[in-house]
Amino acid sequence: MTAATPLLAQRRLRPTRRPGAGAGGRGQLVGGLALLAALLLAWQLLPPALGTPTYVVPVLSDVLAALVDPAALPRYLEHGAATMTEVLLGLGIGVVLGLGLALALAQLPRVYAVVFPYVVAIESIPKVAVAPLFVIWFGFGLPSKVVVVVLLAFFPVLVNAIHGLRSVDRDQLDLFRVNGATPWQIRVRLMLPAALPQIFSGLELGVANAMIGAIVAEFVGAQKGLGVLILQAQGRMETPAVFALLIILSALGIALNVLVRTLRRVVISWEPRPGR
Amino acid sequence: MTAAGTAPEGTAPLVDLRGLGKVYPTRTGDVTALTGVDLQIADGEFVAVVGPSGCGKTTLLKILAGLEQHTAGHGTLHGTDLGRPSGDAGMVFQKATLLPWLDVLANVLLPVTLDHRATAADREKALGLLRMVGLEDFATKRPGELSGGMQQRVAICRALVHDPSLLLMDEPFGALDAMTRDALNVEVNRVWRETHKTAVLITHSIPEAVFLAERVVVMSPRPGRVVDEVAIPFGTVRTPDLMGTPEFGALSARIRRHFEVKAA
Repeated sequence: MTAATPLLAQRRLRPTRRPGAGAGGRGQLVGGLALLAALLLAWQLLPPALGTPTYVVPVLSDVLAALVDPAALPRYLEHGAATMTEVLLGLGIGVVLGLGLALALAQLPRVYAVVFPYVVAIESIPKVAVAPLFVIWFGFGLPSKVVVVVLLAFFPVLVNAIHGLRSVDRDQLDLFRVNGATPWQIRVRLMLPAALPQIFSGLELGVANAMIGAIVAEFVGAQKGLGVLILQAQGRMETPAVFALLIILSALGIALNVLVRTLRRVVISWEPRPGR
Repeated sequence: MTAAGTAPEGTAPLVDLRGLGKVYPTRTGDVTALTGVDLQIADGEFVAVVGPSGCGKTTLLKILAGLEQHTAGHGTLHGTDLGRPSGDAGMVFQKATLLPWLDVLANVLLPVTLDHRATAADREKALGLLRMVGLEDFATKRPGELSGGMQQRVAICRALVHDPSLLLMDEPFGALDAMTRDALNVEVNRVWRETHKTAVLITHSIPEAVFLAERVVVMSPRPGRVVDEVAIPFGTVRTPDLMGTPEFGALSARIRRHFEVKAA
């Protein structure tokens, strides 16, 4: 009775890793490092060669000196912690609100039809422009920064999550319905996992937005934060310090992005790795 | 329950459709998908429905599944009016429609776990079905690691795991290559014999219909209605060499004639 089966069962098990991806990856790594070295070298050698003043473009060694300056380190830590508090707090609130509203709206098509045009309208406003208003409303402390970050992180999460939740495969929906699934089961066991890739795409955008929101809010009015340090360094024409702070901000942004992408790989373990 | 074959006259059929019709309202007016469909299917019977694209055969299957409501006539499954999912039908779609975040075993168990927490007996049943289609070693794999043909066999196991009376298949192998398709047809025949299910297969492949079914129902272009019913007297065990016999050719030709007239 099993005569017909083994033939098909054994063949075409898809390899989980692409052959040769490792070798290609190594080649790319070497190329990438070479490019980085060339750029850093150019940074060190080009400004003096072109006669560019140090306060316009400082050479790499000056920037590095400012970055590892022991006197500046406590300031970097204190203000960096302030900025990251704003970012993480705002991001957390924004993601919870965005996801919650998306789940609610995806279940209520009529409410969705009424509300969504407003969401789109608000989304197209350059939201950092309201940061001065929030300083008036919430003061120069932490709350006004967090509110700006929430506003910026909230919308990409909301819009992506709604889109993911609403684009569930028709056959999968029929499969659940034919087996008598309740609306709750369809929501939790079908729509939510199916929407996870889109939810994470929204989260990646939200993280990038959150960093922008925190810095802009600090520019507008704050006592603490890396944005404040940038303004102070600018005021003293300490361009190497400005560059050092930009490097710190970039590193924090990259770290957050890597964190989200790692989380994505862990949570969505069934998702094929993006091909190179 | 008889293993196969048309139930004797006088026995109540498992599926009973009388004057069944379906009209879709659309922006440009009503579209009649089905009209006056009379169809009785006996317990344990294998019926194939063939017809041109857009003849409403998928609509017919969705009405049987309780996913869509008919707008005329009436239909019963097990004596109960159709109109909502009965929980007594297993469905196989054109795509395997497996959930990529569940492993193969959890996918097979989905109809069970939507109803209650899977018991050891449920798991045993699911593994038994996977064994029947030669996939017992793949229970812990994710669907993405399986070929298209293997995925579709998992989908068949899933449609049977809760032991429904009715197995509904909507062009289940239409997206697969011809060789995989032939092998799967042999397998569907075997699964049907071993599980004693009543099966309804929607297909646009006449050889597939003749190879698998005990009765082929021919539908007209829209509005779909039943224009012919052809009994396929090959018994329950079907093997690939059947397709080369003159009888197979004659039955296929008889069914094909319905479509050639329309094309001329």
